[in-house]
Amino acid sequence: MDPIILGIAVVNGVIVGGLYGAIALGLSLIFGVMRVINFAHGSFLMLGLFIPFWLWKLFGVNPYLAAVVAAPALFGIGYLIQATIIAPLFKRERAMVLEPLSVLLLTAGVGIMLDNLALMTVGPDFRGITMEFAAKALWIGTVLNINYTRLIAFLVSLAITVAMSLFLARTDLGRAIRSTAQNRDAAALCGINVPRVYNITFGLGCAILGIVGCVMIPFYLVSPAVGLAFGIRSFIVVVLGGIGSIPGSILGGLILGVVESVTAQFVTATSASIFSFVIFILVLFFRPTGLMGMKV
Amino acid sequence: MTTQTRSHRALRYAVPAVVLVLFLLVPTLVRGEYYLHVLVGVMFFAYMASAWNIVCGYTGQLSLGHSALCGIGGYLSTLLFINLGLTPWVGMFIGAFCAMVVGVFVGYPCFRLRGPYFALTTIAFAEILRIWVENTEEILGIELRGAQGLSVPLKGHSPGLFQFDGKVAYYYIIIGMLLAVMAVTFWMERSRIGFYLKAIRGDQDAAEALGINSTRYLLSAMALSSFLTALGGSFYAQYFRYINPERNMGLDLSIEFALMGIVGGQGTVLGPVLGAFLLTPAGEISRATLGGKFPGLHLVIYGLVLVLAVLFLPKGLIQPIRQFLGRGAAGRAGGKSAAA
Amino acid sequence: MRRMLFVIGLSVVALVLSSGLALAGEKVDEVKIGGVLSLSGMAANQGTQTKTGAIIAADEINAKGGIPALGGAKIKLFFGDSQSKPDVGASETERIIQRENVSVLFGAYQSAVTTVTTEVAERYKTPWLVTGSVADIITQRGFKYTFRPNNKAIYDAREQLDAIKGLTQETGKGPKSIGILVEGTDWGKSHATNLRKLAKDMGYEIVLDEAYSPGTMDFSAQILKIKSRKPEALVIAMYTPDHIVFTKQTYEGKLDIPFGIHSVGAGSEDPNFYKAVPVQAVEYMFVQEDFQIDITEVADWTKPIDKKFREMLGYELTSYGAQGYSAIYTIYDVLQRAGSVDKEKIREAFTKTNIVSGPALIMGWQKIAFDQDGQNLDAHGVISQNLKGKRTSIWPLANRPKGIKPVWPIPAWKDR
Repeated sequence: MDPIILGIAVVNGVIVGGLYGAIALGLSLIFGVMRVINFAHGSFLMLGLFIPFWLWKLFGVNPYLAAVVAAPALFGIGYLIQATIIAPLFKRERAMVLEPLSVLLLTAGVGIMLDNLALMTVGPDFRGITMEFAAKALWIGTVLNINYTRLIAFLVSLAITVAMSLFLARTDLGRAIRSTAQNRDAAALCGINVPRVYNITFGLGCAILGIVGCVMIPFYLVSPAVGLAFGIRSFIVVVLGGIGSIPGSILGGLILGVVESVTAQFVTATSASIFSFVIFILVLFFRPTGLMGMKV
Repeated sequence: MTTQTRSHRALRYAVPAVVLVLFLLVPTLVRGEYYLHVLVGVMFFAYMASAWNIVCGYTGQLSLGHSALCGIGGYLSTLLFINLGLTPWVGMFIGAFCAMVVGVFVGYPCFRLRGPYFALTTIAFAEILRIWVENTEEILGIELRGAQGLSVPLKGHSPGLFQFDGKVAYYYIIIGMLLAVMAVTFWMERSRIGFYLKAIRGDQDAAEALGINSTRYLLSAMALSSFLTALGGSFYAQYFRYINPERNMGLDLSIEFALMGIVGGQGTVLGPVLGAFLLTPAGEISRATLGGKFPGLHLVIYGLVLVLAVLFLPKGLIQPIRQFLGRGAAGRAGGKSAAA
Repeated sequence: MRRMLFVIGLSVVALVLSSGLALAGEKVDEVKIGGVLSLSGMAANQGTQTKTGAIIAADEINAKGGIPALGGAKIKLFFGDSQSKPDVGASETERIIQRENVSVLFGAYQSAVTTVTTEVAERYKTPWLVTGSVADIITQRGFKYTFRPNNKAIYDAREQLDAIKGLTQETGKGPKSIGILVEGTDWGKSHATNLRKLAKDMGYEIVLDEAYSPGTMDFSAQILKIKSRKPEALVIAMYTPDHIVFTKQTYEGKLDIPFGIHSVGAGSEDPNFYKAVPVQAVEYMFVQEDFQIDITEVADWTKPIDKKFREMLGYELTSYGAQGYSAIYTIYDVLQRAGSVDKEKIREAFTKTNIVSGPALIMGWQKIAFDQDGQNLDAHGVISQNLKGKRTSIWPLANRPKGIKPVWPIPAWKDR
């Protein structure tokens, strides 16, 4: 295998992997803090892609600027859904430890509703945006080219990761979230309003998707069904990187991206996805906390 | 110390008996193949949810990979039929046996994981199988046809080959299978296995500390569940006469089985059946009335039903029904209590 | 005792309720036609387009006074959503046949779904007109009630290779090697299988044979492989989302394929694809269209249909819309000859179909007739090339408008 080809494959894998990591970030956060497997994750991504699209379509707003609208909007939607639909489940369980099954089903139901409400309102069409800038690429040599918008998405993904890590480490709210993740009852005893922390966490997880959607829409597309493709992949990333670990999410994404990209050079891409699952299973068996995760 | 009086006991037997008789009489009472078709669908899902329930309801683990077992059953019985002319009546048991082996083989490492990790692993295994089948045109000279799926050769009305004109025969067969799986569940609940599973479900570590070999019992339940699920897969293949990896080994199907088991009430004999009886017609009716006119609306309603069921019927549909029938407190525990 | 009665009563009520109310008796001045299509899920796009085309046709016919041979009976359409799943499609077929008492059905786009639904229709002795499904097996089972006016999968592959060969003969230059890149489910992989068979016979070397998973976000790996294997022509089979990403990336990466990219439809037949990619990205791309894409320029009578379609969906008539339109007019022709809503008479009339003119030929075929397996042997697609932002028919020669010259070989990116 030509080392140049291999090198290019790795670079491409890294670029796309960073984005996988950012997409999975919210999932990891929500699971790490609340033990909620959010099956509606893909649906929130769909919303995160639709908002910049419509802002561009109706008002000509640059998708990168749309993040100013998308992130708070998605934060609000996530907060609302957590506070009204998922929170009752917490209240019901005495030990405040959720049956994984119930919450999984609940979020699955929410996801189905979101996807199909979108279908009903805007129809099934696939839509994308066209930007002059979007088609330009950074060329290194004559063979390696990195599309600018994907590069930006990669850098933004890194930036979000760093920002989240700092937020969790340095701010009061961040500390509150972390302590709730470690031990909910102890946190409550320290005076932390646990339900509010949950709402905020869920909102944050979704807000990240708002930003991600804005950097994705220039090179990707959106439709009511777009979330489905990201569901399983996000889980693989989260498990690989470690549940609840922010840097782990990026790491997991990078690994997945590179593995997909490199194996696709050797075998056909459909078979390559089996590799991803095999790695997934191996990690689950031999290091279930993932590469950087906290003990569950 | 039972508080059941003689009339309670009579009720316990009479009610199911009457309901059963009614269902058995449906083909004679009602004309309309579509209606029968819906019922076959309901019974099929009730059967599959019950088979799923045997391992998941009683162990508290969430398997989202059961469609793979269904697919193994369907594919094996169909392949044996196409290539060797072996009647699916025999082929389905061979398929079930293979599925059982696969189930145990996969379950062994999986049961070391708990909660969501277990669920994710089952998804991964099922997806690996599905993707592999999708990408394989033929293996060892046998045509698998990959993503295009297999069509069961049409032989007209041939009971010996598990093919019938009309739906009535299928209806009775699936009712029979459903009764069988309910009986198996009932027996298992009361046997030693059921007893140990309850302990394991409550607290696996504590159970092991007491000397219960949890692996053995978990795997037994898995073997049973896999076997029965695969039989259902063969039934599907014979009823629809077409199977493909996307539908029959896909995540959607696994989720449907799990959904019905949980919404109905896992860890009980009747729960999954009730779940299927609620969700399948709900899906059918909303799609029939709305699907053609307002695309997507019926699925919104389906999602809503799901959300409401989880929020307001935490132990499943079975709980309010049980309370109504007066079995509330005095009834068997039957794994009804949600594990901590 | 009371409780037992209650439970029995409840069961009876449940049984009765779920059987629903019986329909009122059949109206004699109506012809009921059922359509089972993917109206939700990944293929909702195409299903909706077919539904729209059918509605336009039915409205036209009804406005002109219905079906003369049936005393002016109006067409009434009943639609079912297959959700892109075979068993759901089967359920919907059962329902529409049983509860709505339709005389004929059409659908269902996805081959997996149509394979199952046509079998249901066969068992109920109800004629089924296939729309959009290309799997060969659909008309290879000896069914008497299945009729397919459109291509078999193998025709698509054959047409693409025939066009390549034809252009080679026309200009004296052509590719010796071919690359294949398909989506990894049913449709893509069977297309690849067909291509492999035919390419070998026609003397082309296959230097790349790839399948990718649906939902791929990034084709850099595949494009890298293409650049290293250097096929002289590339055949692709992609649905809309993948096609959008792939085409954008070939444009960014300035992928040069001397004798062009040949897309076998689906994504490249979806107007949304063209809205989402820059126009330079699709220049010179060949598309195997299921219908003659520029028919609205060539045939004036199609213009009002295109207009109506745009009103209803917001974009121009697509091949799926035309399929729906054609299906209804084909059924109209059949009903005229059957003179009855009896399913057997309709089936008979189907077998004798011989349409050589009229609205049913909106697809660009020259004829609709069904052989003993129910296949229209005159079905064919039309290969277009994207010239100056317009998809222009260039193959077969009978469909190439006067004065059009295809661009062959394709200029490299630096020369454009």
